[in-house]
Amino acid sequence: MKMRQIEMAVTRPDLTPMVAIVFQLLTLFMIILNFENTKSEERIKLPRDRLARPPAAKPEYELVLNFGYRQLPSGERDGSLPEVFYNETYVDVRRIGPHLETEKRVIQRTHGERAIKDVTVVIRADSDVPNGLVQQLIEECQRTGFSKFLLRPMPEDV
Amino acid sequence: MSLRFRLQHPTQKVEFPMAPLIAVMFQFLFFFMLNLTTFNRDRDLNSRLPVTLPALSTPPLNISSIKVGIRSDRDGNLTQLTLGSKNLGSDDAAFDRLNGEILAMIGRPGNPLASDIEVEIDADFETQYKYVVKAISKCTGRFDPDTKQVARYIEKIKFAPSHKPKA
Repeated sequence: MKMRQIEMAVTRPDLTPMVAIVFQLLTLFMIILNFENTKSEERIKLPRDRLARPPAAKPEYELVLNFGYRQLPSGERDGSLPEVFYNETYVDVRRIGPHLETEKRVIQRTHGERAIKDVTVVIRADSDVPNGLVQQLIEECQRTGFSKFLLRPMPEDV
Repeated sequence: MSLRFRLQHPTQKVEFPMAPLIAVMFQFLFFFMLNLTTFNRDRDLNSRLPVTLPALSTPPLNISSIKVGIRSDRDGNLTQLTLGSKNLGSDDAAFDRLNGEILAMIGRPGNPLASDIEVEIDADFETQYKYVVKAISKCTGRFDPDTKQVARYIEKIKFAPSHKPKA
């Protein structure tokens, strides 16, 4: 009986192509990552509308104001009045004025004194927010000097 | 003359540990993949919105104005939708009726004369924002599911001075 001796060798796959592809995918996703959506606020349930369309031209400067309800960790509302989500804090509509002034100063310092007229305030308000409070928010913006407004709903087909 | 010889160590193959590198890269990859949004879901309601403050509001000269009233209960639920003095109801069909009435007023979609017409939204303080957006949308136009096009009605929208909350 013939016995054949088999040499046991450790197989080492060549990892270079896999690493290269992973690097390429990594670079691709890093580049196409949409950082603009950081302005979106998932806690806000935008009203749905069939006529909502992508803006024909993006406003030159925009100030996005998210207006909605605080939520408990479970996802339910905590029962408080709606507030403006501003820089990771919650601000009552009646106290948003100083924050808007700060925004105005920053805009004027970076883009010039007259840039405030070109700023579009984009209102992303929760569908259940009382209309009176949305109007108060718009009025506070107008007192600060903002004059262009956009209401942002969610398209019905999404 | 003396010659120096250096003792050469036998060359060793240095093994670079690839596993942690690949693990970290995969983690980055998944992070960016999960954070990826292929399209921006935000859309704008294509209406010009010169919202006026009560103190700053000036009556527009020679411009026809249509007043849309939205009445609600204390919880913000719709109780009545009106166009001028006409009651359009409080059900879902009320907004379709509003859409039809607006079309009847302007004659046909895209009528250039409609560019001078302005709609004033007069909603109660408590009215839920979604009803206001719906009313604005119904005044702004209509989506035709056959052509997938939007028929434009009136784009000038303004808010009436805000009401006080119900006691």
